[in-house]
Amino acid sequence: MTQSRHRFLGSIWPRFQQEDNGHLNQYYTFQDYRQTWGVAIFILMTTALLPLIVMTFTYYGLMETSIDTESLLRTERLASNTRRAVTFFLEERLAALSFTAREMGYDQLADPERLSEALRNLKLGFGGVTDLGVIADNGAQVAYAGPFNLEGKDYSSQPWFMECRRHGACVSETFSGYRDIPHIVVAVKSVRADGQFFILRATIETERLIQALKSYKVGHHTDIFLTNREGLFQTPSQFYAGESSNLNIPVPSYSDRTQALLSTDRNGQPIVVSYAFINTNIVPTPFILMVVKQKVGMMKVWLDLRTNINWFFGVSAVIIAIVIILTSTFMVNKIFQADRQKAETMALAEQNCQLASVGQLAAGVAHEINNPLALINETAGYVKDLFLIKKQYKEDPELVEHFDSIIEAVNRCGAITGQLLGFARRFDVHTQPINLKDLVSDVLNFHKKEAEYRDIAIHLDIPEDLPLIETDRGKLQQIVLNLVNNAFQAIDDGCCLDIQAETDGTDKVRLAIGDNGCGITKEHLKKVFEPFFTTKKEGKGTGLGLSITYGLVKKLHGDITVQSKPGEGTTFTITLPIQPQKEMS
Amino acid sequence: MKVLLVDDEEKFVRMLARRLDLRGIQAECVYTGAEALSLVEKGEHFDVAVLDVKMPGLGGIDLRRKMGEIDPQMKFVFVTGHGSDIDYKIGANEAAFYLPKPLNIDELIKALGKVTGVSPEDTDSQH
Repeated sequence: MTQSRHRFLGSIWPRFQQEDNGHLNQYYTFQDYRQTWGVAIFILMTTALLPLIVMTFTYYGLMETSIDTESLLRTERLASNTRRAVTFFLEERLAALSFTAREMGYDQLADPERLSEALRNLKLGFGGVTDLGVIADNGAQVAYAGPFNLEGKDYSSQPWFMECRRHGACVSETFSGYRDIPHIVVAVKSVRADGQFFILRATIETERLIQALKSYKVGHHTDIFLTNREGLFQTPSQFYAGESSNLNIPVPSYSDRTQALLSTDRNGQPIVVSYAFINTNIVPTPFILMVVKQKVGMMKVWLDLRTNINWFFGVSAVIIAIVIILTSTFMVNKIFQADRQKAETMALAEQNCQLASVGQLAAGVAHEINNPLALINETAGYVKDLFLIKKQYKEDPELVEHFDSIIEAVNRCGAITGQLLGFARRFDVHTQPINLKDLVSDVLNFHKKEAEYRDIAIHLDIPEDLPLIETDRGKLQQIVLNLVNNAFQAIDDGCCLDIQAETDGTDKVRLAIGDNGCGITKEHLKKVFEPFFTTKKEGKGTGLGLSITYGLVKKLHGDITVQSKPGEGTTFTITLPIQPQKEMS
Repeated sequence: MKVLLVDDEEKFVRMLARRLDLRGIQAECVYTGAEALSLVEKGEHFDVAVLDVKMPGLGGIDLRRKMGEIDPQMKFVFVTGHGSDIDYKIGANEAAFYLPKPLNIDELIKALGKVTGVSPEDTDSQH
């Protein structure tokens, strides 16, 4: 469980462990894998997500512009239609009053009975007409039909009276009056027979106007109402009712035509406002028709869609990011591992190169020594020959012994240079029949002196009848030398080294090199064949000996295993085929 | 038996010639491959040539081929300071015998005998 979690975290946040502790740093192609990884993710993320983000936001921008245009258009159309209805409503009533005033004339209208009849007719025709009054040119109401007794009331100071006198007709703002029912006054001026003017005035309840406005409303997000030119509500507003009697948005400047604009109200809500100044064909009115649409409502469908798009975008971005991170981590990790392998190979190659040059040096030295040795040999031989010819010397065994000791010493030197040259050639590949016992003895010769000094007993148990192995001499020599070296380093003075060989089946030979030294702990045992693993002090060991040995054994198509107990000793066992398998490289 | 010794180590060859002489084998010394080749070209006959593998100029291997072309009867023994006994055996296509330096005189004589088919005892009249 924890391991899989660990692996998952590793695939998200790789560690790029360089277990070699900087040994291989000079061989790596990239030094900072964390940075490479970061750059890879950044570039992939940018190329994958940036176009997506830009496209999404461009789309949002275009969409919003088109929605704004569309909503401006729709709001303006609605305002235009409503304006026509309101204008018609007022014009109709003004026309009816005009008609009544002309048709009946002042004399008839001044008669309360006839006036009441006219009121009845108007009520029948339009409804919502509360009362009717006739006002003389001095402002005094001469006749009145309606629920109040307003005869004789002086209107000369009323604004609507003055406006009507000036313009021939008027429509007042809304006011509540005595009954606390909102209404407006509509009045027309007419001329009497004597040339003087009189005004026919009607009070109209605004309820019908409000109903007319309401009928144009569509949806919850639309508000249609009238204000006067100071911004005071003339009909109730759905959005701004109760807040104040003042308009919550700035009063627009005068325009003949219906206008639409985008704005925000005082609550900070984005709105689309369309307005129209209501002017009848007879007289201008104090009303401004306002159509307010809340953008939130109009854009609801779009906003819902945008939320969906955002979700989709977010989830896609997260998936893309995860895929990019996983892919980058995987790829960079692969590169890292390949690079590490390369670095290890290069380090090994360099090590081998060094070994090879040491070998070449040894070969050169051996060759140079061989020529003078040959001269000593021949000269001593010749002098010995000369002495042996003469009888007096021939009888002297001591003299002959001296010459023989010179020749023997030369032969020993020759054996050593021969071995050195044999080692130098371990980089060539030759398959040849090898007598394992001779080969091991050769190698042990190198350690003879050390074993004597350190009182190390070497038990060599290789049967004479062991079959010859067809293999590479140099490589096998190095394998044995490495393992014997290793054992010598692991054991204390006075310990012993056991070398045994036997056949393993019919086609293999097993060679075991064991010591009774300090042994290897269990956790180290797993790593002994890994390159650069060493328990020796820094600078003392390359950590390559056993890994090279392992590589060499594998090259010879053999197998190497190790058994060890701390405190009891270690045994390396090599199994080699007697006949070469395939081609060795 | 007439032997030609070719080696760039002059003292070594001279000593060897004297020792062979003591054993009744007539040996002529030359110190370069070119010298040896010119001797053979002049028409002088040797039963065996003992050649050093590595010499400045004409080396033992090339020399053997050239001399073999001129005098097909001639036999060859190689001697070299470069390498161990077993290494010579690996590439022993060029000559019947490879001997490592330092030489064992008895082995050389044995080898000479073997390549020429003459028993060393037959020539050992002076000894």
